Amino acid sequence: MAEVAQQQWIFSAIAGHGDKPFIFERDKCYSYSQLLDRIDSAHAQLRDWGIAPGAVAALQSDYSFEAVALFLALYRNHNIIAPISTEAAGEVRTRVKEGHVEWIINTGKDGTSCVQAGGERGESKLLCRLRVENRAGLILFSSGSTGKPKSMVHDLDSLLDSYRGKPSNNLTLLAFLLFDHIGGLNTLFNAMAIGAALVIPESRQSDSVCALIERRQVNVLPASPTFLNLILMSEAHLRHDLSCLKIITYGTEPMPGGLLDRLKNAFPKVKLLQTFGTSETGIAHTRSRSNSSTLFKIDDPNVEYLIVDSELLLRSKTQILGYLNYPMDAFTEGGWFRTGDLVEQAEDGYIRIVGRLQEVINVAGQKVHPSEVESALMEMPEVADCFVQGVPNVITGQTVEACIVTTSRGEPAAFRKAVRRFCRDRLEPYKIPTRIRVVEEIPSGGRFKKVRRPS
Amino acid sequence: MKEKIFELIKESILCLNEEWEIPELENPTTDTRLFGSHSAIDSLALVNLIAEVEERLNVSFGKDIVIADERVMNRTHSPFRQVSSLAKYIETLLNGDS
Repeated sequence: MAEVAQQQWIFSAIAGHGDKPFIFERDKCYSYSQLLDRIDSAHAQLRDWGIAPGAVAALQSDYSFEAVALFLALYRNHNIIAPISTEAAGEVRTRVKEGHVEWIINTGKDGTSCVQAGGERGESKLLCRLRVENRAGLILFSSGSTGKPKSMVHDLDSLLDSYRGKPSNNLTLLAFLLFDHIGGLNTLFNAMAIGAALVIPESRQSDSVCALIERRQVNVLPASPTFLNLILMSEAHLRHDLSCLKIITYGTEPMPGGLLDRLKNAFPKVKLLQTFGTSETGIAHTRSRSNSSTLFKIDDPNVEYLIVDSELLLRSKTQILGYLNYPMDAFTEGGWFRTGDLVEQAEDGYIRIVGRLQEVINVAGQKVHPSEVESALMEMPEVADCFVQGVPNVITGQTVEACIVTTSRGEPAAFRKAVRRFCRDRLEPYKIPTRIRVVEEIPSGGRFKKVRRPS
Repeated sequence: MKEKIFELIKESILCLNEEWEIPELENPTTDTRLFGSHSAIDSLALVNLIAEVEERLNVSFGKDIVIADERVMNRTHSPFRQVSSLAKYIETLLNGDS
């Protein structure tokens, strides 16, 4: 009975929000009552398809009202849900295999359909445990650049439970992060817990996102630093009235200090907040020191943290039960998750993300964090965007390379000199880029996150 | 071509020396010592100089030349000792017969 009571809270919360708007999608608006109706009919549909409780079902969809309703129907049915936002057939196949997926539900343009995945039910202990305890599960995939993706198994009941009891609110949130990403699901769970409205973007191009923010009077924009910089570079924020925005949250990659200053100037009345989380541990509640500071505190009763050799370790009540296809190497025996994020600590308990462990550049034995160099470069007025990485070098092992999008129209040699001179007062000599390439744009991928090759 | 390569190295040194401010590098000649015993610059500066020269070679000769690779480290005499040896090494690279 305990599980049932726990599972029902989200549905009673949804019922409590009544006719408040839930999702704005294209020209339509769906209320929370309509959501509840669609969950009921989708739940019946699951039974017609033959999806039994405990089965693993992939939900192949981008953010939509239909996808959210199916997600919640699967949840009510105690299924193990694997959201998949990619449409690349090869990647879908890999995820279906690595996630032990039994059913694939697709919410395409021609309506919702369901097929059996064709594989046999795996003998995974993790999945068996969820089934025996009659708990719903969530499978997330890491977007590893090499090899197969890691399939992470969450106890969806306990993950959702961490959103329980939040005070209700009338905010409007943009569903910017993708549906199969912990950050995207965090936006959804938060919205449902507090009764907020979610606005679903049709395109993630900066102008259309800004137009949508104005049209739907969005108050909260959760995004990545890379995307926020794209807005500033395209000046889309000047072409639309964004005075409705109250909060911009940033996460998924380090925020360069120089960019945060620019954002503060561009959005003087908006609160700029760091969010922090991992697919493995869920999103932690954090508090930024101020609008202009990349220092933040992890302020969450469900999350403990430790710093070992500058690396941040997390232990949360909502962390994964395990991986379906990988050992638990990233967890210590005490259950701490090694995030791979390197942090700096201020005296008063505030921390700052300075980079990723794997991305540290080693110049003749001295360590350089790409984000530190990027932050310095972003302070230079002629630098619109930049990307720093290590490149092999026979003399120093690695050296620092910077790719820069610039507004300067001068000679490249003069620009390189100007960049080095600018860095001289801000960075130690070994951190100053030796190779400076002027480029048209920085590749960021569909998730608006800088794509680094492992150094 | 020799003259052009020398000019290119000289320009690179002068450009970087605006930051380094090393007296010995104010008037580079073919005999100017670069890297080795009694050298004027350290390894980091050498990496910068090589990157600068590579960029300028690319502009002047339209070729992507990698000056510092495994081959250069295996040589008995480092081409980075002085300006003339660097110029000579670059010439062999440009001729494609290193």
